[in-house]
Amino acid sequence: MSTLEVRDLSKSFAIGGALRRQHVHAVEDVSFSLQPGRITALVGESGSGKSTVARLIARLYDPSSGSVLFDGGDIARVRRRKEVLRYRSQVQLIFQDPFGSLNPVKTVRHHIERPLRIHRIVPSSQIDERVHVLLEGVGLVPPEEVAAKYPHELSGGQRQRVAIARALAVEPKVVLADEPTSMLDVSIRIGILNLMLKLKDEHDIAFLYVTHDLASARYIADDILVMYAGQIVERGPVEQVLAEPLHPYTRLLLAAVHGERIAERGSGASAAVDPGAGCRFVTRCPLAIPVCSDVTPELVEARPQQAARCHVTAPAN
Amino acid sequence: MSAVATKTLLEVRGLEVEYGRVRAVDGIDLSIDTGEILGLAGESGCGKSTVANAIMQILRPPARIAGGNIVFQGEDLVGKSTEELRRFRWRNVSMVFQSAMNALNPVMRVGDQFVDMMQAHERVSKHRAIVRAGELLELVGMDKGRVRAYPHELSGGMRQRVIIAMALALSPELIILDEPTTALDVVVQREILQEVESLKRDFGFAVLFITHDLSLLLEFADRIAIMYAGEIVETARASTLAAEPLHPYAQGLLQSFPPLTGPRVKLTGISGSPPDPREQPSGCRFHPRCPHCVPGNAALYLRQTSERPRLREVAPDHWVACHLVEA
Amino acid sequence: MAQLDPTALDLPLAAPKRSIRVGRIRVPGWLALLLRNSKSRTGLLIVACVVLVAIIAPLISVAHPNDFNLLAARQAPSWHHLFGTTDQGSDVFSQVVVGARRSLLLGALAGALATLVAAVLGITAAYVGGIVDEVVNLLTNVFLTIPAIPLLVVASGYLRARGMWTMIAVIALVLWAFEARILRAQALTLKNRDFILAAKASGEPTWRIVFGELMPNMISRIAAAFVLVFYISLLVDSGLEFLGLGDMSATSWGVTIYWAQVNSTVLQGEWWPFMFPSLALGLTVLGLVLVLAGIDEVSNPRLRTEHKRGRIVALLFGKATA
Repeated sequence: MSTLEVRDLSKSFAIGGALRRQHVHAVEDVSFSLQPGRITALVGESGSGKSTVARLIARLYDPSSGSVLFDGGDIARVRRRKEVLRYRSQVQLIFQDPFGSLNPVKTVRHHIERPLRIHRIVPSSQIDERVHVLLEGVGLVPPEEVAAKYPHELSGGQRQRVAIARALAVEPKVVLADEPTSMLDVSIRIGILNLMLKLKDEHDIAFLYVTHDLASARYIADDILVMYAGQIVERGPVEQVLAEPLHPYTRLLLAAVHGERIAERGSGASAAVDPGAGCRFVTRCPLAIPVCSDVTPELVEARPQQAARCHVTAPAN
Repeated sequence: MSAVATKTLLEVRGLEVEYGRVRAVDGIDLSIDTGEILGLAGESGCGKSTVANAIMQILRPPARIAGGNIVFQGEDLVGKSTEELRRFRWRNVSMVFQSAMNALNPVMRVGDQFVDMMQAHERVSKHRAIVRAGELLELVGMDKGRVRAYPHELSGGMRQRVIIAMALALSPELIILDEPTTALDVVVQREILQEVESLKRDFGFAVLFITHDLSLLLEFADRIAIMYAGEIVETARASTLAAEPLHPYAQGLLQSFPPLTGPRVKLTGISGSPPDPREQPSGCRFHPRCPHCVPGNAALYLRQTSERPRLREVAPDHWVACHLVEA
Repeated sequence: MAQLDPTALDLPLAAPKRSIRVGRIRVPGWLALLLRNSKSRTGLLIVACVVLVAIIAPLISVAHPNDFNLLAARQAPSWHHLFGTTDQGSDVFSQVVVGARRSLLLGALAGALATLVAAVLGITAAYVGGIVDEVVNLLTNVFLTIPAIPLLVVASGYLRARGMWTMIAVIALVLWAFEARILRAQALTLKNRDFILAAKASGEPTWRIVFGELMPNMISRIAAAFVLVFYISLLVDSGLEFLGLGDMSATSWGVTIYWAQVNSTVLQGEWWPFMFPSLALGLTVLGLVLVLAGIDEVSNPRLRTEHKRGRIVALLFGKATA
């Protein structure tokens, strides 16, 4: 039973003036589901649309089309404040930059206390106690001291822990972590990843882990989604996908981190402006055949549980 | 080239840099041979970028060199006049900054920026400089027609290539790369580093490569120095360091990168976070985070918490500063 | 003017809220920062002196400022009349110190009113966006394009009641749009910061985000806007009074200068009824300008770092001589 399901989610941003209006297809036909107690990694390069997916699910943007199904309803269409509030208490977002996601003029206590009050998680008299429990839960001790501090008095890792505690305050079912470790020092990244693993098990949370780092995806995730230019080009169990990738883009990413020589000249994975038909990866693809430039490939399950968007390695029957 | 391959190009001895009262770099020794890639790894705030700025002599007040020598080709740079240093910079040592790709002037064509830079150092006609700029762009894998491009017409990776081409322009003996690819995607990052490596083979310059990403260094550097809290804690050949790191911090750093193959094991990383430079721990600066520093062994614990370990050569070309290794 | 740069962060002035100990007295963090900057320290000192004089004015003024004594008219400054007397024999010193009350109060209140309107409208418009933003923007632009001085002249000329409150309302009306534009621009850069998005994602209502999360981060910019409008309204008010468009029965610097001008005292060699109120006005404005410059320097770290970064690049490319 999935906690949250994303169906054919698309988002395009208009650019240019009224006369030459164009659309950047940041996210296109993205579908996947998140399961309780499982971590799904969403991997891609900058501009691939991976953060936009997380923000769409968090309702920070409205999707252009498609739906986000949660608790039986399509939350992309929900407008009533009460229902939005209920959704927000169950789906939490952790931001990439722990230096930007905390208000510099507010104490740690404020950041954790506000969600508790807004969603009336505990009675007012127990708020202090709950704040301390949450801070201890993410390894910030002594909680009384930490709660009184301002963000600039904490290190990057500690700030990210505060952000995680804030997300957990509302006892969410889904946590969307948008590159939570990429701004942190190498030696403390593992600590944050381990914390996410622990929380997943303790609270049975469905995690979406957005990252550009394949190795960390393999370290904590159960499933993986690979994004390129706004589309999911491959999905499957993380071990299986990384051991035997189907899509040439996944192979390229793996080659890059394995330190193999890279033959092609990268042109980035940015979303396309008003793309025509054809595979987005065709200009960089070593396997391209004529059909690739004309027909957009579908996501086809070529192996059990593993699907890819490629005419060559995962052809439609 | 091969005859001078082992000659020491740059030697840093006992370098100390202070920001007001804070000592950001506390007595480090480094040497770079001609044509070598030396990696300098460490976390943010450990002083690695300060070392680079000290070598370039571009520390901004209140930062200043409080002690030590920086000897480049037999000449001490500390105490040189501004004009001598001006000529030394870029001609002998050039530098690529972390955010260098944002350092290009947005309203000037790429070629004109080359012209400005070259004319500041040598008498060269504008036409000649533009032609040279085109050649340099081709060297870093770009089309030479790009001299006519404005920076915003180039992607981040391209801009970083332009900066690297500029760093090569006056054929310096040493190029300092300070987190040159941190802001770039993995694939682009890899391509650029491969480019630098092959250019190095062709031109024979040495590279000081500063990054927090030890896994990159293991691949691209000849030797690696690991910095922690203003000190160098271990120096070794890249292969040696990968196989048997001796300092617990180096071991922890290597333990912080999850592998892409093999069994999925639980990693521990390093507990705690790097110290505040204003309040460095006593004794070994790593001791509050060190898994081997426990009060159980009283004599060792006393040394670890009160005595600063010295960098010693424990095997040929393998230096470590740790009480455990000495004992 | 750097306070017009909307992208700078407010961190240093906003974040260290903790009070700092200076000797035995605990000083709020922001004041300590301003006192550490030499410009704002001088400015605060000047403004504090003027305010002090205004507060104790009844104690130090020799006579009622509008008392006239034709026997003592047109006297040059002396020990008896420190700043001399007017052609009516009124004591100029008394007029200046008592006038300080009205001038300062008027400037401060007009500044506060304009800032309040600007902050609420500008920041809300920036955050809410859409139609609200469009409307506020239109309003702002309308007020910006109305030429301020002629409007003031016309408004104060037509209005029957030319009391202080009328003047405050008129000045605030003309100046708020100017400020709203600055604050809206800065709020726009802040509203997409992650911490604002995080507050939104956690379900904070809009008014709490605007007043509880955004506004505290813009305190230094709001303070700067207030100081700016403060001294502009001081100048505008005195200017109107100088032209005879103010409340001519009141005691203020502008009124004293007006009468000096009407009676062409300077032409007769009597510089004092003109000089002293003008000096008081100039000194106050100077103090406020210095405070503003100090706020800028303290709150905008880029004013310092950019300067240095420029130097590094220059050094690298061999252009610096220093």
